Amino acid sequence: MKEVPMNADLVTIPATWDFQYRYFAGETASRFFNALRHEGRIYGTRCSQCRRVLVPARSFCDACFVPTGDWIQAGPDGTLEIFTIVGTRFPGLPDPPFAIGYVTLDGADTAILNRIEGVDLSDLDRAGSRLMQRPRVTAKFAPQREGRITDFVFVPLAS
Amino acid sequence: MKRPVAIAGVGQTTYPRRHERMNSAELVREAVMRALADADVGLDAIGLVVGGVAPDALAGLNHIDLPSIVRPGIAYLRINTGGATGSSALLAGLTWICAGRCDAALVVTLERMGHAGTAQKVFNSIFDPIYEKDISLSTISMVAMRATMLMQQHGYTQEHWAGLAARNSRSAQLNDTLHHPRLFTPAQVLASPVLSWPIHALEGCPMSEGACVVVLMSDRVVGRRRVAWIQGAAALSDTYAMGDRMHRPEGSLVDLYTLSRSAQKAYAQAGIGEPRSQIDCVEIQAPFASSEAMAYTALRLCDAAEGVRFTEGLIDGTERICVNPSGGPQFANPVSATALIRIAECALQVRGTAGRRQRPDVRRAVATGQGGATQFSTCVVLGAERP
Repeated sequence: MKEVPMNADLVTIPATWDFQYRYFAGETASRFFNALRHEGRIYGTRCSQCRRVLVPARSFCDACFVPTGDWIQAGPDGTLEIFTIVGTRFPGLPDPPFAIGYVTLDGADTAILNRIEGVDLSDLDRAGSRLMQRPRVTAKFAPQREGRITDFVFVPLAS
Repeated sequence: MKRPVAIAGVGQTTYPRRHERMNSAELVREAVMRALADADVGLDAIGLVVGGVAPDALAGLNHIDLPSIVRPGIAYLRINTGGATGSSALLAGLTWICAGRCDAALVVTLERMGHAGTAQKVFNSIFDPIYEKDISLSTISMVAMRATMLMQQHGYTQEHWAGLAARNSRSAQLNDTLHHPRLFTPAQVLASPVLSWPIHALEGCPMSEGACVVVLMSDRVVGRRRVAWIQGAAALSDTYAMGDRMHRPEGSLVDLYTLSRSAQKAYAQAGIGEPRSQIDCVEIQAPFASSEAMAYTALRLCDAAEGVRFTEGLIDGTERICVNPSGGPQFANPVSATALIRIAECALQVRGTAGRRQRPDVRRAVATGQGGATQFSTCVVLGAERP
């Protein structure tokens, strides 16, 4: 072999993973999504052992590992427990700024994740300090719904 | 533990953003050869290789075992518990030796995330595709949400995160596995762009890749080697959904219930009743300053009510316990390897072979591992004394 220096141009091979999937939500989550879509309501299920109301609905309690029973309507009002405001653009994720957070809906024992809208995000520190007060929020449903978690967002309740 | 087991050798590549001069198998080989040389042992003595490789999609390699197999003809297991992969892999190797299946094992971890062009999109895919993934959750926003809870409940401020990050940046300067680690002040942290409020860019870990390998040996073959004995090791899983951990009686999302129970078990094995005085050094697998602070209480270095004071003691240099002498994951967090790096760094400290980053009189050190949305927690206690 002719002498080729080891510090020759390093080869980088471009690649993309572009696999298609469909996630099967199952009967319980499907019922939850259908209630979002057709009734504009958020449901949880009650654990038959620890009696916690799990929102969003699950077929079993993953702490007790036993089936859940009654379907309980939760919210639409609740308390914003924790949140963040994404301030940087990451490839493949939505453009910043946007806020997301976990909300304990009235009647629920667990918190549910969704977008937080209706908050002025032009000053991140000011918006952050406001959301740190664990504000009351309510679920606002999209007029056209498709039976997905993105059918609603949380907005602050007028204080 | 039925049979005393020790860490007899450590091998690490450096952990830059990209290792463009080596393919994945070459990275593994470099770390393996360094670990074998450090332990003064040959591959023929090795009865097991545990491969620790986390999400395939991060590396874009669906055959990631291929490089981590090391050499055909040796028993092989693969472990994946996200960010806890490295420490879970160590527990698997430890267990195999304790069961008497072999006397020496290699724990091999490899991270190749430098390949990824859309890392946060890959991290989004670790969340539940039914209820959570569509809300654009990523590992950074997950950590940021916990930081807001720590600030609400325990009185931390953004200045504490900045102070810890700046402190770790000073330690990182002495770590020769890092390429030109950034050095910055708390003011520079606070002036850096907001990644995900309240987290600033300089508080977070950079993209980093490389391989870390550890040689485990039973007491039967350790001989006169300078080793770090595994005095305690425990691992626990936790429930998946973060929202389910908000109000549970065992502890809230920031109480790190399963890390705290893992530490309790590992401390009991090691005979540690007073962590504050019996532990000299900890390496915490915390990619962000707030996640580091969250672990102090779980490791019983302080009470929840003292967390802010303990943090301030670390920042101003008055705290006795040495935390993250390597600089910690905020300066290199190769996901598959990072929890093993914490253990390897503790082993170097206990053996007195940490080079420029060696701290004086480290007799006992504790390393943590955390994976997923803290679904996986591990705690490993290393010491100079044979158990």
